[in-house]
Amino acid sequence: MGQKIDERIPKNSGEGAGFSTFNAVQSPWNKLYSYQEALHYASRFESVLSAAATQALRIMVPDYAQRAQMMCEEAYARLYATGQLYGNDDGFGIHPFMCGQFAGALIGDKGDDALLMCGRCQDFGTYRAEKELDVCDWDICGSELCRTTTMSLQGQADASAERRRKGPTMDYLMVEAKGCGDRHCRIIAESREKYPAPPHALWESFGPAVTEDYKKYTEEEDCVSESMMFREECNYHFVNGTNNETDSSNQMVNMSTAASLYILPAIAEAVKREYVTQTQADHILKCVLEAAGKAMFGERYAIKACRDYLGVPDSVGEDGRILGGLIEILLQSLVCKYEVEAFNREEVVLVIDRTGLEITGTKNVPEAHLMMWQGMVKTLVNTQWSVWEEDSPARKMRVKIAKKIDKFM
Amino acid sequence: MYKNIFKYDDMKRAEHMAVRNTVGWYFWTHQLLEITGPDVTAFLEHMFAGNVSRLAVGRDRYTTMLDENGQIIDDVVIMRRSENVYWVSTLFATKTDDWWYFHQGDYDVEWTEVTDDWAMYAVQGPKSRALLEQLTKDPVADLKFFAQMETEIQGIPCLINRGGFTGEKLGYEIYVNPEHAEALEALLSPAAQALGGREVTEFQVMAWTLPTEAGFYYMRDLAHTNPFEVGLDKGIDWDKDFIGKSALEKIQAEGAAREMLGFEVPEADIYIQSKQYGGPGQAVILDGEEIGRVSKLVYSYVKETNIGYILAKKGVLKPGDHLKIHGYEAIITEKNWL
Repeated sequence: MGQKIDERIPKNSGEGAGFSTFNAVQSPWNKLYSYQEALHYASRFESVLSAAATQALRIMVPDYAQRAQMMCEEAYARLYATGQLYGNDDGFGIHPFMCGQFAGALIGDKGDDALLMCGRCQDFGTYRAEKELDVCDWDICGSELCRTTTMSLQGQADASAERRRKGPTMDYLMVEAKGCGDRHCRIIAESREKYPAPPHALWESFGPAVTEDYKKYTEEEDCVSESMMFREECNYHFVNGTNNETDSSNQMVNMSTAASLYILPAIAEAVKREYVTQTQADHILKCVLEAAGKAMFGERYAIKACRDYLGVPDSVGEDGRILGGLIEILLQSLVCKYEVEAFNREEVVLVIDRTGLEITGTKNVPEAHLMMWQGMVKTLVNTQWSVWEEDSPARKMRVKIAKKIDKFM
Repeated sequence: MYKNIFKYDDMKRAEHMAVRNTVGWYFWTHQLLEITGPDVTAFLEHMFAGNVSRLAVGRDRYTTMLDENGQIIDDVVIMRRSENVYWVSTLFATKTDDWWYFHQGDYDVEWTEVTDDWAMYAVQGPKSRALLEQLTKDPVADLKFFAQMETEIQGIPCLINRGGFTGEKLGYEIYVNPEHAEALEALLSPAAQALGGREVTEFQVMAWTLPTEAGFYYMRDLAHTNPFEVGLDKGIDWDKDFIGKSALEKIQAEGAAREMLGFEVPEADIYIQSKQYGGPGQAVILDGEEIGRVSKLVYSYVKETNIGYILAKKGVLKPGDHLKIHGYEAIITEKNWL
């Protein structure tokens, strides 16, 4: 047997309860979660929310091709624009002599690791790049999201190329996708000057790749489950081939989600294109997110597991504190500031900084969370309980968890 | 099964072999820092392990910038442009800038990134001199290695620096104002073709296949290593103080823990991970123990085999040793294939 080093929690994760280096997360009942666990929890919860939001979008725009096209166009345009405005070539290790669009692969590579989408770069050159992912928390959202993320990468690559000496154009394809059931996600970018292929619509970004023969498939036994920044064999650092190097210290505060980056903006785009009205969109999103929230604790064992996860003592019965504690864990994991105004058997009131919850600056992310929480409380506690916003100060969301009777609920 | 991304690629092969057999030219602009001031020489002596004060005006030196632990932050070429003006060619301008800022202290120096002021073209290969002599106003035949000269190419003012990153005995770098870049390319292209050469366009050839055949390092190869581990200790000036010196002296006394070795894998179509793409590199296992990681794996078009570097525990492997890496038969070699 070889001495392959299995992935381990970083030695200094959650270092001290003073949280000076990495944020440990603490439940109201003093249960501590490592930085790594908190980041994974936040990533997966946000992915569930994102998956539910995708279902809402599917109701609003039922036709797959129309929906995927809209998502891809919206994401491409937005990421292209931001790529032009906020280019950080030095930061990504893109060197002056790198020409054309292949440098965009460096941007995607780093972004993957930051989003816990671990894997490996398999090729990186002027005419071809290949990235293989073993893990993607967003894989539950749907294949149209896989297409969309690919086109957002294309947008960033195109923007990056404009700042550089002219070089080969690259066509970014996601030839395998975990969201489609593949073992890996695999992005292959190919220069069409060197590897000609018929043109395709923006959303038809699944390939096939011309250079299929070159791809390197990692077998199950060699797959990883943690980003480089959480792997001892990587010294807990993400490092790419151009020595762009980061540790995990900024990951929680820099987290982005599928909902904030792609799905909620796509819903806004659906309204803009008049596929649905704003009222219809809000209604559908609320229905779906509430239902998703209810489904989270529909099984009694899920409630038991949640109490165990939070370290809830037996003396705490069925009341709003359980959901309140769970929300606190999420907010801490997202490094979102909040204050506890009330936390007792009658009510929980959390005053949340909206900016912190508007992940990547998407304004309606807090409302999407509120919809999920309203559904969650119905099964995690019972139907006497509700979650709503009340008397919010400016730039805050004052969330109240309490009993409420509503004949139109 | 894993079709070799180098071996069967005719474009990469042609670009690579043009440099080896005739001449290849390419856009090769690095980041460039210009450092000036009364204390500039003393400052650079402090920042770099190699000697700077003995560097003559118009000459270059390859050296390393170390941290306090003796680990390499960057390997650079320092070009002395005049008595108190130096250029540092780097791919780490941002990092270098920060590092210098924190260590400037009382040194009376200023530095400016001048990357955007210069376009640099590499002209490399046995016919590179012949190519330049067709174009330059002044002869380049007497230009020594790591020496600079100012001249003109068809009226375009330029700086010619003899050197390169290919391992070729003959190779030059041409610095011009970017506004003349297009005109220069229009001259280089036909001149190279007339000599049987061509433009090199593939980043992997410029940064990986050509330099690796010569045992050179690129970026990730040197990360978190010290000069003793990677064979860059010979240029250290022990007679001066520089950042990392005391740590290096300790390493020298105790002996380096690791060493960079070459290796070959004869089987063509393989899958071995390497640090050049990022990540930790393939673990190298010997008798059940991890004894190193694969730093680099490319293809030698000269030797027609896969070649690369392993950063291994010192003294465990030696040239000629056979071992399996990720199931593939490998042979440990010297780290130079030219």
